[in-house]
Amino acid sequence: MVDELARRVADGARVNAADALALYRHAPTHLLGRLADGIRARKHPDRVVTYIIDRNVNYTNICVARCNFCAFYRPVGSAEGYVLGFDEVFQKIDETIAVGGNQLLLQGGHNPDLPIAWYEDLLRAVKAKYPGFKMHALSPPEVLHISKINQIPVDVVIERLVAAGLDSIPGGGAEILVDRVRKLLNCYGKASASQWLDVMRQAHRAGLRTTATMMYGTVETDEERIEHMMRLRDLQDETGGFTAFITWSYQPDHTELGGTEATGIDYLRTLALARIVLDNFDNLQASWVTQGGKVGQLSLSYGANDMGSVMIEENVVRAAGAAYCMDEVEIVANIEDAGFTARRRNMHYEPLGAPVFRDRDLPRMLTLGTARADGDVSVPDELRGYPARSRSGKQSRVAH
Amino acid sequence: MTTSSTLDHLLDRVTAGGHLTAPEITALAVAPDILSLGMLADVVRRLIHGAQVTYLRVATCACDAPIVDAVPAGAREVRIVGSPASLDAATTIVERARAAAGNRVVSGFSWGDVDRVAVAAGLPVSRALAMLRSAGLEALVDVPLDAIGDADRVLSSLMGAGFERLRFTIEKAPASERQALAERASALQKQYGAIQSINPLPTVPHAFRPTTGYDDVKAVAIARLAAPNVPSIQVDWLRYGPKLAQVALTFGADDLDTVSPSDEAPEGRRRAPLEDVRRNVEAAGLTPVERDGYFAVVA
Ligand code: SF4
Repeated sequence: MVDELARRVADGARVNAADALALYRHAPTHLLGRLADGIRARKHPDRVVTYIIDRNVNYTNICVARCNFCAFYRPVGSAEGYVLGFDEVFQKIDETIAVGGNQLLLQGGHNPDLPIAWYEDLLRAVKAKYPGFKMHALSPPEVLHISKINQIPVDVVIERLVAAGLDSIPGGGAEILVDRVRKLLNCYGKASASQWLDVMRQAHRAGLRTTATMMYGTVETDEERIEHMMRLRDLQDETGGFTAFITWSYQPDHTELGGTEATGIDYLRTLALARIVLDNFDNLQASWVTQGGKVGQLSLSYGANDMGSVMIEENVVRAAGAAYCMDEVEIVANIEDAGFTARRRNMHYEPLGAPVFRDRDLPRMLTLGTARADGDVSVPDELRGYPARSRSGKQSRVAH
Repeated sequence: MTTSSTLDHLLDRVTAGGHLTAPEITALAVAPDILSLGMLADVVRRLIHGAQVTYLRVATCACDAPIVDAVPAGAREVRIVGSPASLDAATTIVERARAAAGNRVVSGFSWGDVDRVAVAAGLPVSRALAMLRSAGLEALVDVPLDAIGDADRVLSSLMGAGFERLRFTIEKAPASERQALAERASALQKQYGAIQSINPLPTVPHAFRPTTGYDDVKAVAIARLAAPNVPSIQVDWLRYGPKLAQVALTFGADDLDTVSPSDEAPEGRRRAPLEDVRRNVEAAGLTPVERDGYFAVVA
C-alpha cells in the first residue's frame, strides 16, 4: 500500500486523510523524505532556499488565555508582567534595520488592558517613523481577543488594524485545529478551530497574506495532526491566502502541561508529511528554533524550502526550553552547505537579493535578544493614556 | 537527487550483501542528496544489526581527581576523562577506577596521551600500554584515525598489550577526508580484525565552523558504507545530543556511546536520561538494547 501511495505522490496526486495516515504510520523516514523533497524540487526547481531578516517581538507577556502548554505568559497582576513601550519597539526596529531587516513579527499575550487604540497607535507610530518597514503582526487569537474586549466584529478589527499599518498576519495560535485537542490544551477559549480559520478567511478576503502553523506533540493523535493539515488545505483551496506553513514541536519545559518533546525524527516525518499533504502551499519553513541548527538544516531534505527568520530575539520558545540562535552568516552557511542558493525574502516570499553580510559588515549575533532585560518591570509612559480593564491594570496606571 | 534507477541499482546490490565501490561512495558523498546516501547506509546497517540499536551507559571520572563517589549502579563502563600528567598518574587512576568499577570495563585516555606519557617516562609506548593494561585499563577511548600517523604501529602495539575490540574515533578531519579514513579503517580491519567500532563525528569541534547536520549524517553514512566490515558505527549521545544522534541512527549508526548512567539529567532537561534514549530509538523505528563496555548485550 505504501509503495502504491508513494508512486501516486511522486506522480503529483493529492492524498486524502487516510492516505496521509498510512504514509505517516508506515512509510520509512527516508521514503517520506524523498517524496517531500521531490515536491519541494517541483515547486522550487532553482534550488533556492530563502530566509527573512526580521525580529520576533512580544509586546506583552500578560495573558488571560492561560494555555497550559505555554511557559511565556504571566497572569494579570503578575510582578513579572510587562508591556513594551513604543520607544522600546522603535529601538528594536532600529536594531533590526541595522542588521538588514525590514519587518517585525509582533505577537503577544491577551492583555485585557490594551484597547484597540493602543494597537492602532503603535502601528501608526511605526509607519510614521519607518514608512517602508513591515508589520507582520497579531495572530488570529489576538485579533479575536481585540474583537472581544472592544466588542468590535473581527472584520472591522482587521480593517482598522490594516488602516493603521498592519501588513500581514502570522499564523500563530493554531496549535492543532481540532476542538477536542484545543479543550485539552485550554486554548479553545482563545479561539476554536473554526474561529481561527475564520479570522484567516476574513484576513485573506481583506487582501492580507498570512502564514499557517501547527504545534504538534502535545495530546493530539496522528489523525488529528492530519485533520489540522486538511483544514488548512481546504481554506487554502478556498482563499489562496497562505504564503507558508510552519510546524514545530511542543516545548515542554516550565509549562503546566509538562511532558516530553517529540523527537527529531518525529519532526522530520511531520514536516515531510505536511509537504505531501499541503500541495497548495508554496512554502514550508524549517523550524531550527525548536529543532536546532542541525536538524533545522536537515529539514531542507524533508520538504522545507525556507529557513525562516534570522533570529534576533525570541521569548516564547525560549521560555519553554529551546534557545537556539543563528544569525545571517550561519543561516546562509547552513543553506549553502546543503547545496542550495541562499536568498533573502520578504513576508510575501518575494526575493530581496543575496545575503546582506556579503555586501557590508554586519555585527555577528551569537546570542538571542529578549523582549526586556531580566527584572525590568518599568511601565511605559504612554500606557497611562489608555484605559485599563483589570483592577491591577487600573492600579498600576494610577500608581504610575 | 540520485536518479531512481541508479539508486535502485545500488540498493539492490547492498541488499544482496554487496558493497559500493570507492568512486560510487565518492559520487554519493559529493552530491547534495543525503537521502540516497542514508537509504544505502541504512540497508547495510540493517543487514548487520537488524533493527537493534545498542547504547552504553558510561560513568566518568576525571583523570586528576580522586574517585570519591561510588559508580552509579546503571553504569556499564567506567571512563577516565582528561589527560594524565604522567605514566605514574595514569597507572594510579586506572588502578583506582578498576577498584571502583567492579566487573565493568575501565576505559580512558587517547592514543596521543599514552604516547606522550610513555616518551616522558623514557619507555616504548608498547611498554606503557602493557603497564596500563595490567593496571586494569581495557580500552583506549580515543584512537583518532586522523591523528595516529602510523596505524600499523598503533594497532600492533595495542593488540600486543592485550587491548581487544578497538574503537576508532575521528579528531577533526574535514569532510573531504572522511571517506579515505573510513576506507583506511576497513583495510586495517581486514588485516587485524580487531576493530569493533568507528565513531565518525569529530571529537574536537572546530571553534569557528562547527559541523552541520548534513556534514554529520554524511559522515555517519560514509563510514557505514566505506567500512562495512567494521561491526559498529557509533554516535556520542552526550556530545551530539538526542536530535542529531537519533537522526544518525537512520543514516547507518547502530550504537549510542556516552549515555548518562543516572536517571537524573545533570546536563539539563534537554539532555535526556535513559528513558529518553530508549524513546528516541523507538521513535526512529528501531529497538534499543543495552550493552556493556565489551560490546556484549546486557540481558
Ligand atoms: S500561547 Fe499565547 S494565548 Fe496562550 S497563554 Fe501563551 S501568550 Fe497567552
